[in-house]
Amino acid sequence: MPKEKIVAGGRAWPSANVLLTVGVVVVAIIVLGGVLLTGGDNQPQGSPTAPNSVLVNKDSHRLTDGGDAVTVVEFLDYQCPACAGYYRNVTADVEKDYGDRITFVVRNFPLDSHPLALPAAQAAEAAGMQDKFAEMYHALYDNYAQWAVTEAGDEISDDEDRARAAFDRFAKDIGLDIERFHTDMASDAVAKRIEADKADAEKAEVTGTPTLFVNGERFTPSGETFGEVRQQFRDRLDAALAQ
Amino acid sequence: MSETASVTTPAATDGSLGRTVRWLYVVGGGIGLVASFVLMVEKIALLADPNYVPTCSLNPVLSCGSVMATPQAAAFGVANPLLGVTGFAMVLTAGAALIAWFRPPRWFWLALQAGTTFGVGFVHWLIWQSLYSIGALCPYCMVVWAVTIPLFWYTTLHNLERGHLTGRSSGAVLVRYHSAVLALWFVAIIALIAVRFWDYWSTLV
Repeated sequence: MPKEKIVAGGRAWPSANVLLTVGVVVVAIIVLGGVLLTGGDNQPQGSPTAPNSVLVNKDSHRLTDGGDAVTVVEFLDYQCPACAGYYRNVTADVEKDYGDRITFVVRNFPLDSHPLALPAAQAAEAAGMQDKFAEMYHALYDNYAQWAVTEAGDEISDDEDRARAAFDRFAKDIGLDIERFHTDMASDAVAKRIEADKADAEKAEVTGTPTLFVNGERFTPSGETFGEVRQQFRDRLDAALAQ
Repeated sequence: MSETASVTTPAATDGSLGRTVRWLYVVGGGIGLVASFVLMVEKIALLADPNYVPTCSLNPVLSCGSVMATPQAAAFGVANPLLGVTGFAMVLTAGAALIAWFRPPRWFWLALQAGTTFGVGFVHWLIWQSLYSIGALCPYCMVVWAVTIPLFWYTTLHNLERGHLTGRSSGAVLVRYHSAVLALWFVAIIALIAVRFWDYWSTLV
């Protein structure tokens, strides 16, 4: 961190300068540290629960529809590497293995730090307009390397042309009307849906992605590896199903 | 104090910051030189093998790979670290000469002023680009930012105090609160970084 304090070299008035310097540094540490700590405290715990009225709307996209017994809600950002990791290691299998018993809702929370997250969310929502939301959701994550990261694969990409070309390929593969897909992506209706998801995310005190809720309770894994998180999430679902 | 020992004959015109400047040149110039050198080595490795992942690419935000691959990384047509290696080596040499009691003429100080002013301007442009255009931070580059600012600041103060710039001594208030101003400067940049990458820091948890 570019942070250093030059100790006063002036001989004539060291004390006023030293006091001021220390003052500036201390105030900065208190403010930054305070914001970081309170922010940091809020992240993992956040609000532990959120009402289903906030988490799920009538028209929220459902990947699976297995009744009301267990509802999983995921707030996600299509370009977020952690979300792609969750998809590959945790949620894609859950969708398959638990699909007939749980309702899995996914909602948008594109972060500003991911330049292609918003276009990707628009693509998913536009596909939803042609009743192919789940197909596009899968295409986006299954082919994450084709659009979300650079060709070398080690950086978040900001190449929007490449991403849009990839979205078009996915759209063709899942049989969308491309003209309509393009119109819908740029439409107010899609923009409003994404904004509404973000607004609900804020009500639910979601600050990062992915954030998962099981029956309104936030899932906060303690595992270090995806293997552990995967097991914890499945245990959690089993417990909810057993109730 | 050892300081009284150094106040021998030539120190009469040394100004209150003379000692700080000498040692800052050696330490800051040395740190800047090492950082630029490493960046140059990484840049060469990246050129030789486009798949090379630089040692300072830690995550999507702290990533010199993505910073080094931008047009801003060669702002004047050649890799920026070349300027750093050259410039910091000169600063380091100047510091060593000053410690060896070389008392340079005014033009020498004006040249240092010109060099560090260019450096600080360039660094702030790079900070701006890194934060708002590239959207990633490069750790070694941040080391360069962190040493260039005090090098400029203390060169300026020293030149003001010694009257190299205006012909008579000036800037007494700034000299008096030299490190407080510097601390504010750093705090402002750290705050900009914290705000800009807030989303990222919060998703880490």
